[in-house]
Amino acid sequence: MPNEVLSISTAGVEATLPPVRGRVVRSRWLYSVLTFLTVFGPGLIVMEADNDAGAVSTYVQAGAQYGTRLLWILLLLLPVTYFIQEMVVRLGIATGKGHAAMIYQRFGRWWGLFSLVDLQLVNFLTLVTEFAAISLALSHMNIAPKVGVPLAALVLVVMVLSGSYRRWERVTVFLCLLDLAWVAIAPKVRPAVGEILHSTFVPGIPAGGVNASLIFLVIAIVGTTIAPWQLFFQQSCIADKRLRFSDVKWTRLDTFLGAVFTIIVAGCMMFAGNAAKIHGISFSDPAQMANDLHVFSGEFVRSAILLLMINAAVLGTTAISLSSSWAYGEVKGWPHSLEMPIRQAPGFYFTYVGCVGLAAAIVLIPGVPLQLIILGVQVLAGIMLPSAIIFLQLLLNDKEVLGKQFVNQPWNNWVNWTIIIVLFILSLILAAQVAAPNLFPAS
Amino acid sequence: MSVLGLLRPTTVTEIPENHFVVVHPLDDVHEQKMSTSGLGAMPMNASVKLSLMALRAYLILMMLLVLYHVLDLAGVFGRHAH
Repeated sequence: MPNEVLSISTAGVEATLPPVRGRVVRSRWLYSVLTFLTVFGPGLIVMEADNDAGAVSTYVQAGAQYGTRLLWILLLLLPVTYFIQEMVVRLGIATGKGHAAMIYQRFGRWWGLFSLVDLQLVNFLTLVTEFAAISLALSHMNIAPKVGVPLAALVLVVMVLSGSYRRWERVTVFLCLLDLAWVAIAPKVRPAVGEILHSTFVPGIPAGGVNASLIFLVIAIVGTTIAPWQLFFQQSCIADKRLRFSDVKWTRLDTFLGAVFTIIVAGCMMFAGNAAKIHGISFSDPAQMANDLHVFSGEFVRSAILLLMINAAVLGTTAISLSSSWAYGEVKGWPHSLEMPIRQAPGFYFTYVGCVGLAAAIVLIPGVPLQLIILGVQVLAGIMLPSAIIFLQLLLNDKEVLGKQFVNQPWNNWVNWTIIIVLFILSLILAAQVAAPNLFPAS
Repeated sequence: MSVLGLLRPTTVTEIPENHFVVVHPLDDVHEQKMSTSGLGAMPMNASVKLSLMALRAYLILMMLLVLYHVLDLAGVFGRHAH
């Protein structure tokens, strides 16, 4: 293997090897940087794609209701989201297989089918909400959704049809980095720096105390930061990119930087909501907020928020649709790789195109019950997330599969079981609120 | 040389002394992963059994909540707040 040859070359001996596509460098530092850049991608994408249309709405609403007072929750979620995805990294690199395939193999057909059906359902309903956000933002930009939504769907399909994982990854990483514009928006909405630092590092309860509204908003923030599709997506992405054992540390770094980037962007979304609160703007969605905010913050902020809403939905759609296609392909035993042309993996691409096309078409139906779809997403995600994480935790303790090198250490288990128990409780409260709202007193 | 130039791979057959070669994972030879073939289902030890039992209980509870919601919407409980 080339990696073994590398260790020979560092010993000061000239080495020959079978022809391989690569780059010869002299400096160890440059070698590390370039290796990281070749590995970089899945971690950033899985994290930033989670800042999808639903997340924009949740973070902006959090800012509008409580200003910057809930920033500390984002800081708390940074290690949580990293720990969960780090387990996915180890499982993906060690086995070279996707999450759905592993659940099928190690927990049997019933649990495998349950996970797959639940994932496909919640993913599809989420896709509908992504396209609904695209439609909404386009309407505010005076672009007819009947034109813009199919165009967005077409772009999303073209993104994956090149038969090159690298091409898809480059485009998607670029879209992720476009979200840096949220950081550019932040100074325009003039947040108070001292207040931000205090709210981030000193946990506190907003004025009004603990009530049902605050609890459900906190649960919504947690739910939007950690989503079930992320586990399936990153593991399949790692398998498709064929990341190697030696890439573990760089993939961890990629995942960590992705988590930091995502949390910073999420914080900036809260600043935008905070600006609406300061100016006394009430809104029902981020697009309306952008429109009303432009009187105070200028046209740049309005246009940027609308475009970033579309970008968030596009990112979410490509990642979620791919997690569905990879999972379905793994379970059905179909060829499932972005490196394959359509004729070699028709089922994989058909699933992707089908998910994107159908979700876009549903949004264009007049009078589609979006509230019912959002409710379905919440309930199904509540069912899906704890179960997917339980399987992940059990697989990470599976010495038969992972051996001693990749299996969880005792401290990993303590941290992860704590996260799982908290997520179980939060999911249950959210599902109870959605299914039986009368159980909870109004705030 | 630009960063993009550094990232652009070429065919490498020889590594000069004290040099390193950066290979993209997709250009590298296939790595032998942990073998999972023939392993079958996970052994049901106490912690696995307990976890799956807790998961079943959770799912049953969730189903009951959804059922309650459906019955509530259908007006089975006499009044509907919405």
